[in-house]
Amino acid sequence: MNVSQKSIRIVGGILVIYALLVATHLGEFWPFSIYPMFSQAGNPWSRSLVREMPSDVADARKVSWTTTSLDSLAGDSYPLVPQGINQNDVANYVSKTESWTPDRIQGLRSIFAKNRSLPSPLLVYRVRGRLADDSVSVRATPVLLLTNEGSHLNPSLAPPSPASASSAR
Amino acid sequence: MSSFIKTLSQELFTVGKSGTRGDRIYFRVVELFLLAYAVWYCWTWGMYMQENITSVLLPLGIAQYIDVSFMFENYFGPANAILVGVLGLLGFSRLWRPGYLFALFAFHLQYVARYSLGEISHGSNLIGMGILGLGIALLAFRSETNRQRFTFGFLYFFIGLGYTSAAVCKLIGTGITWPDGHHLLMWIAERKIDTLSKFGAFEPSILQELVLADYRFGTLFLLIGLLTEAVSFGMWWRRYRYLVVMMVLGMHIGIYFTMNIFFHASTYFLLLLALPWNRMIDAALAAAEDVSIPLPSQPPSRGEPT
Repeated sequence: MNVSQKSIRIVGGILVIYALLVATHLGEFWPFSIYPMFSQAGNPWSRSLVREMPSDVADARKVSWTTTSLDSLAGDSYPLVPQGINQNDVANYVSKTESWTPDRIQGLRSIFAKNRSLPSPLLVYRVRGRLADDSVSVRATPVLLLTNEGSHLNPSLAPPSPASASSAR
Repeated sequence: MSSFIKTLSQELFTVGKSGTRGDRIYFRVVELFLLAYAVWYCWTWGMYMQENITSVLLPLGIAQYIDVSFMFENYFGPANAILVGVLGLLGFSRLWRPGYLFALFAFHLQYVARYSLGEISHGSNLIGMGILGLGIALLAFRSETNRQRFTFGFLYFFIGLGYTSAAVCKLIGTGITWPDGHHLLMWIAERKIDTLSKFGAFEPSILQELVLADYRFGTLFLLIGLLTEAVSFGMWWRRYRYLVVMMVLGMHIGIYFTMNIFFHASTYFLLLLALPWNRMIDAALAAAEDVSIPLPSQPPSRGEPT
């Protein structure tokens, strides 16, 4: 068997392993992938923005939890790159969490405050965009207020307590 | 089918004159590039995990079978990065031929731990495929020339397949309307939020301004991108190889200007694969030798007019 024949056989073998692994792992088994990024075009998206709040906003009752436009966000910009924080990690937590359990809240908090304290209270927004005619409508909803004393979830996102869940049944 | 496979194997793995100094230098440069990027990825991921991650949100790859949360504490992440470097160096120096494959396993572990928060990043996939190709080449072939032939053929095959697969996914996921410029409007708005979140400010590029002014420019850009991805398997054939890799490289630059996403590792790696660097090195070495060899001085012969 010459080099070309041996090489193509090896590539064929790897291709079979590649296909089996991506077929059984939803298209991803690094470094193998079917590369589905941007394959679903036009769907509404959900990302995140973080705002730095004045220190007196540590009291969650002073926060407005209503959905707003980008021009009316509370606080000041809090860029993540200078803090060494990955934007996609925050956005994934915010967009993919359906039920804000204590573990989820702690996981998002740890991105900002694992083994360190916060410089000031931070308000994490969920930003949603959808196509409206020939433009994109963007709205932001506060999700979580992080302070050095604790984490405060938007009351409208709180999971139902066992008591209310049972009463709902 | 068998004649196609035979032709494909010749296109991917049979090269003309090989084993020149340019070939050897080029191969080692590519190898060093892959190793350096692997270690850099693993180190930055390791430090990030130590500082920012406490729990697994989305288990990927091997994390579906083992709990990788131990990687988030006690500096296991940075230690694993050092392990990748040591194993990679054993492969690079040819002291231990399985070195690259074991490095790839540790690299995989680092990836699934780092991206356990839900993001599926594709920025490092080509580097991982490169380490896999090198690992197999070292185990399957004894001669450096054959290792080089295999590695490059392997890379062109799987890179071409990957980009074409991306085009197929778009056509399956959305259909023939995928290049509609409105979709690019949506992605630009999404990237604006990401850029605001990362840097606190967003300034649209010229290409983005064009799309925001008229979505039909977006249709044009998306169509070019989709067609480029669709024909990427053309890099399997030597005749089209450099042209197709250059087109994919151009597509990445277009993605950067329209969507603010820079796949740096893939872009630099494609630049290494998009030109016949080995031939250019040979030519440069030959030119340098021509310059450095002094012409013998010839004394004037008798009878020659002075």
